[in-house]
Amino acid sequence: MRAYVALVWTIARKDLLLEFRTYERLTAMGAFVVLIGVLFNFSIDTAVVQPQAIAAALIWMTIIFGGMLGMGRTFSLEEQDGALTGILQSPLPLDALYLGKVLANFVLMSVMVVLVFIVFLAFFKLRFSGSVVTLVGVLAFGVLGFVALTTFFSAMATRSSMGESLLPVLVFPLLVPVLRFGATATDRLFAGRPVAEVSGDLRMLAAFAIIFTVACAWLFRFVIEE
Amino acid sequence: MSFGLEAVGLVRSFGGLRAVDGVSFQLEPGELLTVFGPNGAGKTTLLRMLGGVMRPDSGQVRVAGALADVASRDWRHRVGIVSHQSLLYGQLTTTENLQFYGRLFGLTDLKIRIPERLESMGLSDRARTPVRELSRGLKQRVALARALLHDPEVVLLDEPYTGLDPHASAVLREQLSSLKDGRRTVVLVTHNLKQGLELADRVAIQVQGRFSSVTDAASLDLAGLEVLYHDAVENPA
Amino acid sequence: MSQKQTRWAIGVLGTSGVLTVIVLHWMVFFWVPTEATMGIVQRIFYIHVPAWWIAFLGFGIVGLCSAVFLWLGDERLDRAAVAAAEAGMVFTTIGLLTGPLWGRVAWGTWWEWEPRLTLALILWFIYLGYFMVRRTAVNPEQGKRFAAVVGIIGVLDIPLIHVSVTWLRSLHPEAVILSAENPMNLDGSMGATIGVGLLAFSLVFASLFLARYTVAGYERELDLRDATLAGTRAVEG
Repeated sequence: MRAYVALVWTIARKDLLLEFRTYERLTAMGAFVVLIGVLFNFSIDTAVVQPQAIAAALIWMTIIFGGMLGMGRTFSLEEQDGALTGILQSPLPLDALYLGKVLANFVLMSVMVVLVFIVFLAFFKLRFSGSVVTLVGVLAFGVLGFVALTTFFSAMATRSSMGESLLPVLVFPLLVPVLRFGATATDRLFAGRPVAEVSGDLRMLAAFAIIFTVACAWLFRFVIEE
Repeated sequence: MSFGLEAVGLVRSFGGLRAVDGVSFQLEPGELLTVFGPNGAGKTTLLRMLGGVMRPDSGQVRVAGALADVASRDWRHRVGIVSHQSLLYGQLTTTENLQFYGRLFGLTDLKIRIPERLESMGLSDRARTPVRELSRGLKQRVALARALLHDPEVVLLDEPYTGLDPHASAVLREQLSSLKDGRRTVVLVTHNLKQGLELADRVAIQVQGRFSSVTDAASLDLAGLEVLYHDAVENPA
Repeated sequence: MSQKQTRWAIGVLGTSGVLTVIVLHWMVFFWVPTEATMGIVQRIFYIHVPAWWIAFLGFGIVGLCSAVFLWLGDERLDRAAVAAAEAGMVFTTIGLLTGPLWGRVAWGTWWEWEPRLTLALILWFIYLGYFMVRRTAVNPEQGKRFAAVVGIIGVLDIPLIHVSVTWLRSLHPEAVILSAENPMNLDGSMGATIGVGLLAFSLVFASLFLARYTVAGYERELDLRDATLAGTRAVEG
């Protein structure tokens, strides 16, 4: 068990090391988040629409679209000099490869989500009056569910002739529950509603994240094996 | 005594095309087999199956007598693979690349093992250099160090000379010949007859996914191999 | 089944299916009495409801065949899954088109974010993805596994999507036929019409399924022949 966790961490550490040496994916995601904030600013007429009223929708759509940019490249960095061959030849269990990738992607997404909140709270003067701990829980499970599916399907997209452009077609329909429960819960928390009102959403997000992390880890060998 | 490496009726097809079509051979520990063949003969596919990277449609691989199944992981530390791609991460340094792979192979003495290995391959001064800044020749040396880090009994080499200048080729040849320590079983895949024959104990020619013949290298000179090769390519079995 | 028998079976199933569909339309337009509360527009329900049942049957087959295909790796299961997915897609499309037609009259809008309709739309897109991974996979053998995986993930996600859409306000008429408290509250002639609808679509589904399954078998044979030809040509040229 400890050896397994160490292997998962080896993969995650390597991915993060690569990322923090080039900042390729974080730059793309971060620039997207700030720019989309600017574009939203010009596309919302604040005389008619209150940003506060649509805050959760803006935040979640930004997380999903921005996240797509980074997650789509999860496996392309393995293909460059054939490193994936080296990994597949090694004794590393394939589910550990998947879980390591999920862990690294989760860290990258968390950095992006923090930026999303900084940008949106600043640009649109949003007021948050709900429970911060619950919000963090909603975001953590929502992002884990998102990462579980996008990491999995990015392996598939990398090996298709359509490349990363296949990813949204595959993942968006499957992500409906994440968006639905995540955005509803965030909406209610922004409106300062009691935590009890979002506990159902939180449970569903947790269920989604756990089901797909486990299922994808198990199915991963069918995607990655040649 | 069991064979170092054994292939039994390996078959693999892609969309109906049989890239490898029933390849069998047996190698004693310490033997080096060179597989020649034209482009598209399925040499790389064969090597990937031997390394457990690719699943055969049918047939088996045995390493030191034990079944080397794609689904199981426990035999993999006995095998090392070098490809014409470096299998390294360009942004990471030489040491970081070796650390990463060393951990995947469950090695615990990396602090001692990596400097030793770099020393013996003349790479000590490149330990902290990102791999993308290395020349093709040095990169291939790191790739070899990576494949040998866990001391595999079976070494698989897929066109290791690709893109190397004459000097780098000579250095690599020197290092490959040091693999022949009487213990290691090696399979070298190449389409360069001269480089392939130099080190070989046995020679096979693969055409259209099949081995046309497996011959002792001792009985062959370069001219003889050329005749054999052209004959095999023009008249596939 | 021999080729001839298969062709006969497809013909018989297809013809009787089309004939039953004609009978169904006659029953819908001229025979069955108008439902009291919903009025004339309710008649579309004899096409809409059986289409959905068959669509879900199709996707059930996809999920099951996909899972067993990954487990056993038998080509025929993959062919069955594609056949079911394509036939199921036809009926999902029928359901998606007839729903809004009814909705326009009953709800006053073409589209409403009503749970079942939403679920159907999402389902349609999941299976679009199913076909796209098959088509675009670089290695066609991998494409089959990718599709099977999409099928399984899709089936796992359906209950969660269902919950996420039903927490919205529902406008859909309650499932009148299979509702627990009142298992069969339909007039006898209405029940008969639904029964005929189900029979008609089942026959059409079965013939489409069998035809597609057979064609997939031919495609496989053709691929094999092409590949063999290409292999021969490569050597001759």
